[in-house]
Amino acid sequence: MSGYIAFIKKEFTENMKNYRFLILFAVFLIFGIMSAFLAKFTPEILSALAADMEMTSEPVALDAWKQFYKNISGVGFSAFIILFGSCLSNEYSKGTLVLMVTKGLSRKAVILAKYTVAAALMTISYWIGYASTYGYTALLWNDNHLSNVAFAAVSLWIVGFLYLSILMIGCVIFKQTFTSILFTGGIVAIISLLGMIEPIAKFNPFILTSKNIDLISGEAVPAEFMIPAVISISLSILGVLIAIRLFNKKQL
Amino acid sequence: MNVLTIQNLSKSFGKQTIIDNLNLSVPERSVFGFIGKNGAGKTTTMKMVLGLLQPDKGEIHVCNEPVCFGQTRTNQYIGYLPDVPEFYNYMTPIQYLKLCGEVIGLSKTEISKRSDELLSLVGLNDVTKQIGGFSRGMKQRLGIAQALLTQPKLLICDEPTSALDPVGRKEILDILYKISGTTTVLFSTHILSDVERICDHAAFLNEGKIAVTGTLAEIKALHGHDSLLLEFSADQDLQLFKKQKSIEPLLLHSEENNRELILHSRDMVSVQKLLFRVLAETGICPVKIELMEPSLESLFLEVVK
Repeated sequence: MSGYIAFIKKEFTENMKNYRFLILFAVFLIFGIMSAFLAKFTPEILSALAADMEMTSEPVALDAWKQFYKNISGVGFSAFIILFGSCLSNEYSKGTLVLMVTKGLSRKAVILAKYTVAAALMTISYWIGYASTYGYTALLWNDNHLSNVAFAAVSLWIVGFLYLSILMIGCVIFKQTFTSILFTGGIVAIISLLGMIEPIAKFNPFILTSKNIDLISGEAVPAEFMIPAVISISLSILGVLIAIRLFNKKQL
Repeated sequence: MNVLTIQNLSKSFGKQTIIDNLNLSVPERSVFGFIGKNGAGKTTTMKMVLGLLQPDKGEIHVCNEPVCFGQTRTNQYIGYLPDVPEFYNYMTPIQYLKLCGEVIGLSKTEISKRSDELLSLVGLNDVTKQIGGFSRGMKQRLGIAQALLTQPKLLICDEPTSALDPVGRKEILDILYKISGTTTVLFSTHILSDVERICDHAAFLNEGKIAVTGTLAEIKALHGHDSLLLEFSADQDLQLFKKQKSIEPLLLHSEENNRELILHSRDMVSVQKLLFRVLAETGICPVKIELMEPSLESLFLEVVK
């Protein structure tokens, strides 16, 4: 336990010193702010650039959330995975973990501390991004009659943990950053492909990233998200356990 | 009592056998030199002792407790200094030792007390810059400090001096010698003068096995020829000496160099008796008579042949 807490402190300082947190925070914040503004002003920008193009409809608050989910689930989480893809490979290649492990730090504590800190930093960044989209959407549109806005955000947030668990397994198995990221991308692609197979699609965590807008617009109900959310959380825990098990057998 | 016992240890990588049925024991309070060529398997052996590599066969006991791969129970007795120790570059030595102390589970006061002691032992007490700007010698010294933080019974150093300049080497050896009163030190090396300087026990690793082991005196007594050097003041004396009949059989194993004559024999006592009789009879007075000890280097070459 003492090792876990000590390593959490170390991970936290490290992510501050190497600007990982700063970059992640900036990405989420920028996309959070931009979502509302892009939705509001894209039609105006377009019509200014191409005078003969006619805008069919006025932008609404839902468009801001469309931007948010598109950007965060795409660019935001990609940045998250790329930034944290090197969290173990750096330690492997430099051999810094050897001294820690030979001092009695359990391997479980290493994985759990890395997971905890990455998850915490992702959570902070994510909700700051959410808050800025929420704030600017409220500012730019007065008639804000959307449902389940927070619930939709929670479901995407849950998927963040699943991505991190997959990344952890990748980081334990592969010694290079690039392969760990590729592994994560591959598994995520498989999950989204499985989302197309009709009979099992309703259990797939992919729903949590793809149907958020339907939830806000009222086309989907929160009940549809429950089973995928439970499955996503279970898979995240399973992923961490697998990562620990593999790491115990890893030659450092 | 033995701090470390290795029995029938084997390890291969693919088809290449690195360690082949190795047996070794390191007695308490010794400074143990683990000698072998580059690639002989010294690091592999040490990593297996630390539970960082899985042995194919054999048993390792540290302080009478078995070592299990991946688990770190026996590591509480061991301090480890890798050949190129790497730390978190953004930390200062004090911060790094604090992290290590917290990992071990020491109290705050204990951490600061031991850090101060150890940093002054290794001469880094005034250094406040980040580890990223350290020279290799400084990293090596910090490596010793972190390894001793647990107050280990056994300190394992993997070639602690091989990459250092003469000043750095001397400093590391002095530190190791200083702590040898309280901690058993096992260090691997291929620099034999280091072994002669601070070790009392040694083992030669060759082709995955221990070729020779024991105290330095035992090893030297067991192996290699003893030699005796004679230096004469004039060449006539040397020629006269060589003409003596009783000396003739000794000249079969001898080397001549200017006015020096080196005699080799396994039975030095009878050689000396004979020599002094001849010198007394002929009245030759050499300027120097020296009994030459076998060097570890000649032993090493003999072992790895």
